[in-house]
This record gives sequence, C-alpha cells and structure tokens, in this order.
Amino acid sequence: MGAGKYLGARILRKEDPRLLTGRGRYVADVTLPGLLHVAFVRSPHAHARVGAIDTAAALALPGVVAVLTGRDVAGKLRPIQGAARYPNFRSPDWPILAHDTVRYQGEAVAVVVAGSRYRAEDAAGLVAVAYDSLPAVTDAITALAAGSPLLYSEWGDNLFLRRAATIGDVDAAFARADVVLRRTYRTQRHTGVPLETRGCVAQYDAAMGHITLWTSSQVPHLIRSGVAELLDFPENCLRVVAPDVGGGFGVKCSIYPEEVLLPYLARLLDRPVKWIADRAEDLLTTTHAREHEHTIELAAARDGAILALRARIVVDSGAYSPWPWTASMEPGMAAGNLPGPYKIRNYQFEALSVCTNKTPLGPYRGVARPSVCFSIERAVDDLARELGRDPAEVRLRNLIDSYPYETVTGLLIDSGSLVPALHKMKEILEYDRLRAEQIEARAQGRLVGIGLANYTEQTAHAVTEFAKRNLPVTVGFDSATVRMDPQGTVWVAAGIHSHGQGLETTLAQLAADELGVPIDDVQVTYGDTQVSPYGMGTFGSRSAVIGGGAVIGAARTIRRKLEQIAATLLECAVDDLDLVGAPLVGAHPLVGAEARAGAQFQVKGVPSRSIPLRECARVAYYRAELIPDVGPGLDATQYFTNPPGTGTFSNAVHGAVVAVDSATGEVRIRRYVVVDDCGTVINPMVVHGQVVGGTAQGIGGALLEHLAYDDAGQLLTGTLMDYLLPTATDVPEIEVVSLHTPSPVTPLGMKGVGEGGAIAPGACLANAVTDALAPYGAAVNEMPITPELVLRLIRGGQI
Amino acid sequence: MKPAALTYVRPRSLSEALQLLAEHGEEAKPIAGGQSLMPMLNMRLTTLDYLVDIDRLPDLDGIITAPDGGVYLGALVRHRDLATSTLIRERAPLLAECAPMIGHPAIRNRGTLGGSVAHADPAAELPAALVALDATVCLARVDGERELAAGEFFLDVFTTALLPGELVVGVRLPAAPPRTGWAFREQVRRHGDFALAGAAVRISLDPAGCCEESRVVLCGVGGAPYRSRAAEDLLRGRPPSPDLLAEVARQATAPLDPAGDVHASGAYRKEAARVCAERTLGTALERARR
Repeated sequence: MGAGKYLGARILRKEDPRLLTGRGRYVADVTLPGLLHVAFVRSPHAHARVGAIDTAAALALPGVVAVLTGRDVAGKLRPIQGAARYPNFRSPDWPILAHDTVRYQGEAVAVVVAGSRYRAEDAAGLVAVAYDSLPAVTDAITALAAGSPLLYSEWGDNLFLRRAATIGDVDAAFARADVVLRRTYRTQRHTGVPLETRGCVAQYDAAMGHITLWTSSQVPHLIRSGVAELLDFPENCLRVVAPDVGGGFGVKCSIYPEEVLLPYLARLLDRPVKWIADRAEDLLTTTHAREHEHTIELAAARDGAILALRARIVVDSGAYSPWPWTASMEPGMAAGNLPGPYKIRNYQFEALSVCTNKTPLGPYRGVARPSVCFSIERAVDDLARELGRDPAEVRLRNLIDSYPYETVTGLLIDSGSLVPALHKMKEILEYDRLRAEQIEARAQGRLVGIGLANYTEQTAHAVTEFAKRNLPVTVGFDSATVRMDPQGTVWVAAGIHSHGQGLETTLAQLAADELGVPIDDVQVTYGDTQVSPYGMGTFGSRSAVIGGGAVIGAARTIRRKLEQIAATLLECAVDDLDLVGAPLVGAHPLVGAEARAGAQFQVKGVPSRSIPLRECARVAYYRAELIPDVGPGLDATQYFTNPPGTGTFSNAVHGAVVAVDSATGEVRIRRYVVVDDCGTVINPMVVHGQVVGGTAQGIGGALLEHLAYDDAGQLLTGTLMDYLLPTATDVPEIEVVSLHTPSPVTPLGMKGVGEGGAIAPGACLANAVTDALAPYGAAVNEMPITPELVLRLIRGGQI
Repeated sequence: MKPAALTYVRPRSLSEALQLLAEHGEEAKPIAGGQSLMPMLNMRLTTLDYLVDIDRLPDLDGIITAPDGGVYLGALVRHRDLATSTLIRERAPLLAECAPMIGHPAIRNRGTLGGSVAHADPAAELPAALVALDATVCLARVDGERELAAGEFFLDVFTTALLPGELVVGVRLPAAPPRTGWAFREQVRRHGDFALAGAAVRISLDPAGCCEESRVVLCGVGGAPYRSRAAEDLLRGRPPSPDLLAEVARQATAPLDPAGDVHASGAYRKEAARVCAERTLGTALERARR
C-alpha cells in the first residue's frame, strides 16, 4: 500500500531557497541582549611549560569583563578524555585551557571576555604568558624513535595505541609468491575546511538554571552529553542548538574545548557570550586529518592474484585524543579497510597511533579510507607494472565478485558491483583506445597518464560495528519523531543533522511517501536537543540510511494509525483499504487545490466509500470519541539501528586521464569519471552533489591541501593563502555514472554516499601521474602531488 | 582577526588626501581596494593610526591616451579594467594579458593598479609587467610631484622608493615600437595565486626580423621584479631562434638564487622562472612577427 512516488525523484532541495538567498541562520547570526565576545590567548609554541601569566594589562583595558587562565578553570572544568576501550589505549587529559603544558601551537592558555571582539583581541594581545619551551616532536616516525622528546613523559613513549594481528597464513603465502612488492606510501596532513568556521554562543538563564549552547556542530546531542559531563551540569538543564551549519565534513563532530568553556563563562558571568573562530584559529585548532605512513608488502602470483598483504600503519594523531572518536579510530579504520575491495585472505598488520606536538587528528570525510585507498590502489598499480600487466586487468583478477563477502578483517560486504563498475569505467573511458593513444603520445614526447582507483565504502555502520571499535560511546543508532497535525501536515524532528547533505529534502521525501502527503506538507527539523529525540548526528555516511530508517519507522507507525482511523470510520478492515490520489511527484503549491487535497483512503473497489487522509488526521485530534479503539494523537518516535549493525557497503571506481608538463611538473586533469553505486537512491540530484563535492575535496587533498609544519611545530599553512583549497579553476568537470545495487539489509536498499567521493581521488590521480611518468620509471608515493614533486620525480630527485 | 583601533578618514580631494598623508607620515597609509592592506590589518601584521581612504577620489581612475601612442593609467584603475578595457588591449596588451591572473573576479573588481604598485609584492604580476613596459610611476605629495621609472621604483620585498607622505597617483606607459610582441606567463599552484615564478617579456624586431630591443623581467624570484640585462644583451641584434631563446632564458635565470617556501623550493622557482621566460619569449616573438 506504499505510495513510493518521491523515492528516486529529482526533487529540488527544500533548504535551498533559504540558504541561497542568505536567509540561513548560523551561530554567528545569534545575537542576544548583553552579549559579550570572547577571544583566546593561544600558545605560539608547539611544546612548552606554561609559566606565570600576567593578565593585569588586559584586565585594565576598558570594556574587558574577564580574563581567565588555565589555572583559573583547572579543577572546575573536567578535561576532555577521548578514552578508547582498548586495554592498552592511553588517554591523556585534554584540558579545556592548558595550565601546565601546551602540546600544540594554538592550544588555548587563557580567555578574554569583552564588550566586542575587537576589544577582546586587543586584550588578548596584552596577556603576557611566560613559556618555557620544550623540544617539540613533529612527525610520527621521529616520535617513535628512541630518545624522542615525549609528550607524556610518564608513558615512556609516544604511543596512544598499538594494535597488531595476523589473519590467515601470511608467511606461507609470501613464501610461495612469485612477486613480492615492498613500498611506502604517505598521505599528508590536511583536513575538512568548512566555509563556516567553528563557533559557539552560550546563554545562562539564571531564573531556570538552564544553559543554552548554540554551536556549529554535526552532533548536537553528543555535544550536550559531553558538555554536561565536563561541566558537571545536569543534562536536562542544558540545551544544545546546532542551527544552520555551513559544512562539517567530520571536523565538527568531536567536542572542542571552546564548547565547554563558553557555557561555563556564560554561567560564571551571567551574561551571554559569543566566540566565532576566525580562519587562522580554525585552521590551527579544528581537528586535522589523514597523515598516514603505510609500509606495504604485497605477495602475488605471476597471474596477478594477490596472495597476502603485510602492512605497518603509522598515524600521526597529534597531541590529544578527541571525544568520542579517540586517537584509536583512524588507525583502526585503516587496518580494517586496507585490504580494500580485494579478495585478500592472508593479512598481517601493525597499526600505531602516535602522538606529536601538532593539532589533534580527528574524522574527516572518508576517515582513514582515503589513506588506505591511496596505498592499496597504488600498490595494485605497482604490482601490475612489476608483472607487466595492465592495472585494470590486475584489479579484475582480484576484485570481490560475489556477495555477501566477508573480508579478511571481518567486514561483511552485503552487496556491490565492483566488477561491473570497473567494466563500465573502461567502457566510458574507451580504455583500450586511450591506451593506444597513450603510446602515440609517448612517441611524441607527451606525458599522458591513466589512473584508476576502486574502493568499497563502509557506510551506515550501526551499533554492532561501533561496538567493535571500543569507542567511549557506541554511536550506531539514530532517531526521529514524526507527527501529523490536525491539518494533515507533517513535522519530522530528526536526530541527525544536515549541513549540506540535503537531508531536509530526502527525509521529507521518505516521510511523504510513507504518509501519502505532498512533500511541501512535510517540515523536517533537526539540530535542537530540545526538539529532536536523542540522536547521534550526521557523520559516517549514515544519515539517509539510519536517520531515514528512523523516519520511515516513525512514519509507518502513524500510517498504521491513520489506516486504523480510516477503517473505523469506513467500517471496514484495514486490509480492505487503498490509499488513492497520493500526490504527484514534485507537486507544487501552484499545481492546484485538487492535487494538493491529497490522498484518500478508499474501500477497495468502492470509490464512493472513501475518506480523505486529512480528515483522518483531523479526527485523530478533534473527534477522538469516534475512534475509541484507536485513541487520539498522531505522533511517533522511532529509534533505529540498522541490522545487522555492521553497515552496508557502497562501491565506486574513479578514473582519470592526466597530462603532465615535463618542464614544470604541472598536472592537468583532462578527464575525471566516477562510476558510483550507492544502492537505492532517494534523490539523484542530492547523490550527484555528494559525489561531485566529495571528489572535489579529494582532488584538493591529492594536489593542493597540506597542513605543513616546520621542525619546531609551527604551522606553515595557517591561512587560506597558503592552505590551498581547490577552486572552480582547479576542479574539472566530474562525470558521474551511477549503478544501483540495492542493499539487502537496509530500508529500501539504501546505502550511504556522503564520504565516498573523497576517498579515491588521491589514489586515482597518483596512479594517473605515475602512469604518465612511466617513461622515467618514477612513482608518486605521496601526496600532495605538487608540480615540484612531479618535476623531481622526472629528474631523478634533482632540479 | 580584527584590526587594532585606528582612525579612518575619507578625504574628498586629492589635495586633502595628500595633506593627511603629509601630516601623519609613517602613521598613515592610503587604502583603495584594500585587497592587501585589509588582511594585513585584520591579522595585525601591521598597525596604523590613520587609514586614508582614497577609493572614491575623483579623477584617479582614468585611462588616458597620449598623442604619442602611450597611455596614462590612474592609480584607481581596477584590475578588472586592465583585463577588459579595449584601450588597454590596444595600447598595453601585456597588462591585459596578466590582469586575469590576479586573484579572482571579486579581487579584481576592487583591487587597484596603484595599490598593487605601492604594495610591491615580489610575486605580483603588475610590477614585473610595468618594468617590462618601461613604465613610469607618477607620485604626488602635498608640495609637488615626481616620476620614477618602474625599474627604480621597486626596491625589495614590499619596499619601494615611495617617501612618507607620497602617493602613487598613476602610471605612464610609453608607446611600443612597431613589430613589438609581448607575453606574460606565471607558474602558480592555483589560478589566481601569487606566482611561484613568472616572466613578463617584450621583444621589438627590426625590419630584418632581428631583435632590436627587448625586456626580460621575472617575478617571484627575488625582492623586486628582476630585469635581466644579460638576457636582453644576448638577444639584441640577433635573429631569434628557438635555441637562442632557450639560451636567453638560461642566462636570465642563471644568477638567481630565489628563496623557497612551503609552496616550492628556491630551485624549483628558479627552474619555473626559466621555463616561463623561455615560453614567454617564444610567444612574444611570434606576436612580434605578426
């Protein structure tokens, strides 16, 4: 009896008129009477003891209300503890304001509150901090060496966590291999850079003893729980609002010290306070990402079959462990996903999470998988070259080709289309013709390369999967409340958040389909802990599947109740009802009253016996006496975790054609194609936007973006003049072709797609450039692929 | 990222502006498009007592042809005007070629020629182009005016011959000789960025097709636009062949030892400058022969 008309429809995004006409409301738009402004005093040193802090000059400045140092708040605010539940995981205290030691440049040591941000910055400049600088360790390999400076001297080394495992008979497989390949691949530190920087406003209501925190976050409920705990404040008196958020990409789903400090200041001063990170603060203090070094050994047979994989995974996790993801997640995801989309049965890994005097590492679109995709896809290309075989052929020899497939690390790949996707890619690229043209180009001295990169993307991981990760919070489920009011219009309050994913539209599509109402009659709201049921928020390519599952579940409860009401009023059985006249796809208010009048419940085969759905809604509230067996109200909350809880796997292959200027090392992307499969699609335009946006970010990571530090731990790329984001002139047209293999385990067969695009571009472009440089025998084993790197490869290291 | 307190003044006339600049000397700076000065103030890399806003002063945004075929450009001519003006395309095509490489449309709409000249970023396009065009920088102060050859105006990183109280009011470009070709090229990480290295080149041929006169100027390789007289000498009087141009480019960059930074080493910049020089020489020659 499901209507199902909006599923798969190209519906324009409901949120866009607001966002595109400047009517979005972001944290910076929150203004309150008596608002004070906050600026931080941040350490210029990467590693130092914090000595005396003289705040007198700052306090003396007119307009300055308060200056607090780390020592003023130590003991009053609990430190952040990103404590993974591995027995050997070491979890340091991450103080809200540093009080004895600073461990990365930009760590806050004091805070100034004043009547304006200008004045707060004036005063911050007058706070005199005596630092006793300590030797800094700024890369993970050095940090692992004996005698390295230590971040936490009591540990005796710089390890958050070491994990290792051997699965299958790795040694035997290496012993019988025809070819053994050993390579080191590196992905550089870079991160998600949302247009909207982080920021918070906090207000204390002394009359009620309540605190409201507005924060630019992907995970408002998690922030509420975290802040309540660290403030030691009752959670039922704390409201967290994440209003419109201008991008998150994962960097806004950890708790940050500012989110704890601002509510504290609001209560202490009994004045609302505001802090919006400026871009320099944001690049320095918002979690960084990637920065892996993988040493890979691949054992293979002459025919290209991969027999075994050994890996040493070193992740530079920075100075602290973020909550709730911890410094264990990045190496954990890397170890679990490194075998990638290949039928590898023997695997040995050692994964190290290393602390350094740099900004803490956290999640960013793809989480570890861009790094593992880079390594395994480069390794497969290198293997093909070693064997004198075509890279596409070696992939086809090893790709998972039947489902469900349990990987060597225990990931259950529920469904997919890896092999058909690669065939499709070859067809779109006209691969064989391209290879012929490449030979011609080389003969003319032109450097042209073709790159491929496959991946599977574990998405919508639910409770079982997160339980395996030993995080302090098992973040697998989500929730939604769906309510139909007497008018028959629908209100959805979701536990997820939407900050670019179009969920205001896609969740409305799902609800409208379940309830048989026009999409314009569905309002989707999220981001306010006072409004939505407890949800985990948006990350990990989960919200359409898990948030959508919750919406579908709650809507179905209401649908059943509507059916019961209709059956009661029409004096028939529920099974005898049809829902007819459900709205046309894309029906707009201008379509006309009849179209909008909406659906009717009708007794099967008897058109004269019918009742409008809206009438049922009215009865549910106004005429409860007519439905004594059903009861009043149309309101349902659903908590949802997708069984079996391990997630569903999307897959894709990226293909690129590049030209390299042999004189300058410049790389030009001639063509970029994505063949993507995320199962059942709710809205193709939204999926297309996700794939293109993710790919653009991935191209940024591949070619441009680098959070580079010097040996003293100073960030060298601390503004957007030096941290190079890809712009419209750097991103080519991205051709996207979609396959649709529905998941057998998720609602409607949906799969997550949010992160995927960002996973493969590094690998794909490095393979393409390596292919272009084949005449020189050079290989791109690191990112970003700068003109200088390429020129050095062409010239054997020297320029 | 908020500037320290300062006094903002918007004079209504050039003489009033010059008066204010004279009065406050080193403590005052003129601002027009604000594309470099505002970020520096916001990041508190510099502080000022007075910001003298000349952005809307009348009569400083003219593009005026000279009877001899040259052109005078007011200091408030926007980068966008350089990129789109027909007059510029006719009389100073080198500027029209390099202007679209300056930042992005929003920056070009506000940023001014005078601002770029006075700011003197060593990697900026316009200073190098002006040196290649034998431009004259026109300066005014409260008690007079003077003109300086662009080659003498740019001294070092963010350093020019401007004296306290002086304002760049315009740039004068001489007419190009017949059979002149020109080209600008830069190596950048992204379109619109400051150049890792770049070259502005002008070649004038004699009737026989030999090089009569040339300018080979590089940016991003030192403190100021670098004019290679060695390269120019090597070209003079010779029939330019691809081999000669390659040799000229090598000569032009041979003495250089540019500093490196996070975007590229000095060695890469030097090499990029050589490639830019060689390629611009080729393009300029082609255009001169047209």
